[in-house]
Amino acid sequence: MTDTPQGALERLAEHGHRGFPHLLAAREKTQWDLESMRHRLRDIPRDVDASIVLMGSWGRRERTPGSDDDFLVLVGGEPRGDAEPAVHRLDGVLGSGEAKPGTQGIFGQQIFVGPLVDHIGLEEDGNANLTQRMLLVLESVPVVGREAYRRALEQVVDGYVQDHAKDYRPPRFLLNDLVRYWRTICVDFAGKARAEEQKWGMRNAKLRLNRKLLFAGGLIPVLDCHRLRREQQRDWLLDALQAPPTDRLAHAFLTYEAIDEGVRALGAYDRWIGLLGDGEVRAHLTGLTRAQAGDDRVFNDVRRLAKEFEQGLGALLFETPLSVVAREFVVF
Amino acid sequence: MSAPDDIPPTPLPAPLDAEGGRLQGVAEAATVPSGTGPSVALMASSVMIDARVGGHVAAHHPLGTSTGHLVELRGQWDLLVRRALDVSTLAVELAALSEPEFLSLSAWLQTAERELPFRFLSVHAPTKDRELPEDELVARLCALPPAVDAVVVHPDVIEDPAAYAPLGRTLVIENMDGRKATGRTAEELRPFFDALPEAGFCLDVPHVGSVDPTLAIAHELLDAYGERLRHLHLSSVDEGCHHVPLTPQDEELFAPVLSRCRDVPWILEADLPAR
Repeated sequence: MTDTPQGALERLAEHGHRGFPHLLAAREKTQWDLESMRHRLRDIPRDVDASIVLMGSWGRRERTPGSDDDFLVLVGGEPRGDAEPAVHRLDGVLGSGEAKPGTQGIFGQQIFVGPLVDHIGLEEDGNANLTQRMLLVLESVPVVGREAYRRALEQVVDGYVQDHAKDYRPPRFLLNDLVRYWRTICVDFAGKARAEEQKWGMRNAKLRLNRKLLFAGGLIPVLDCHRLRREQQRDWLLDALQAPPTDRLAHAFLTYEAIDEGVRALGAYDRWIGLLGDGEVRAHLTGLTRAQAGDDRVFNDVRRLAKEFEQGLGALLFETPLSVVAREFVVF
Repeated sequence: MSAPDDIPPTPLPAPLDAEGGRLQGVAEAATVPSGTGPSVALMASSVMIDARVGGHVAAHHPLGTSTGHLVELRGQWDLLVRRALDVSTLAVELAALSEPEFLSLSAWLQTAERELPFRFLSVHAPTKDRELPEDELVARLCALPPAVDAVVVHPDVIEDPAAYAPLGRTLVIENMDGRKATGRTAEELRPFFDALPEAGFCLDVPHVGSVDPTLAIAHELLDAYGERLRHLHLSSVDEGCHHVPLTPQDEELFAPVLSRCRDVPWILEADLPAR
């Protein structure tokens, strides 16, 4: 057992018979696709403080056939008009065809680190700013510009931790923003469902699984800061946040000796990734309305997997020694 | 879990016994190792250190009841559910131990499922008074409403395991007690799970105790089928292997097994004793 979450999923897999075949295959695919993408983008004009960052399934290292390209061009400092690469230079490489990123105005654009760090909370921290910042923290991976990406991540984490961290306390500023983001996702899900019946099945399944993984994968390392002095928390968070969320959770299940529960929880998530890789299942869920979902066998299978995943997370948070910290900090 | 170097190792308190005294020999492993970053946790499980009133079983989440032990209400599903709701609004097992009971439950569920609040809903398939051909029984089990999360089947009443494959991951196979000729151990359950790779596992803890009072078999079952575990049956059993309220002695005896099952619903097969 090591002190870093990196590689923890494979260590947890050793405790089960089945392992996590879909997750590990998705990681391999993500890595392969990432290398391919890096090769294609290596000569693109790029400012020294700019990086091209992939989020979503790329950041979670969970790419399956049908995954899209949620990308951002992340540039240091304050907004400027001539930053490179301009988004149009990525046409045909990122976000084309079925890989087109979501249409909520979050992805497929240039963003600047200054507003991400300076506008945490209050009016200027709109939905896009919050989402971009949180996804950078929780599920991102650089394609090119690794050093610029790392500096940006450090600045964002510092924005939360520098003046607010305390010895042996989870950093509340970051914790609160994380909880706010998760609840925002949940509220926005209901808002989207009201506005549009289509895609309800897939959105609901992703909320129950991928988004919950995203939240828990941030929550646990933040709560884990209760073991550290303030000057240690920054390095711990930076290390943990660059591991895939499934590694962060696997590490926590190992650390808090909830190994059986961890094998089951991530086993359920692994099955979901297997289903996501099945084009028929993906199409079926995408076409499923809320009214249809209750009686739908596929959806109910997914719902049960989500429940198993959630139960494992619940056991980790509330039936291990982490429960003391969860009780003290998560609700209020 | 680790603490920084300048923090001395902190022993966790020993759990309370039934009289509120500290249990011996439990908290010795609960020291915090030194180190600058997060590292290995060496501590007792929360199940072992939980000292809330009612013991760790009453504190488990989610906890629910089986309706199987509510003999006086058998077949009256509205009343059975009302009693189950007194234990928990989150988890329940509707036990249809005879085929006529199952048929009445099946019909009742078709009309009632939308009204059931439970987040985990299990149905115990019939084990006696069986008349339906096996494939027809399976077809009826498959036709249960989608809100049913698990269908518990006793392996000793399975004639052809492959016939149950259509139930997919909803099927849950339970380990048997000492009176039965099969389905008691990991080895005896292997043919069923080999034939049904999607099937889940329901660990009946007192059933194990009736086979092996040391509960070593429970750990063997969890080692073999823990990845499939969906829920737990919990009670004590009397000399005739009938489910009776959980005794404090069994609660303590079961604790190491329960500490490996903290995520799944625990279904009580008898009332919890008042504390």
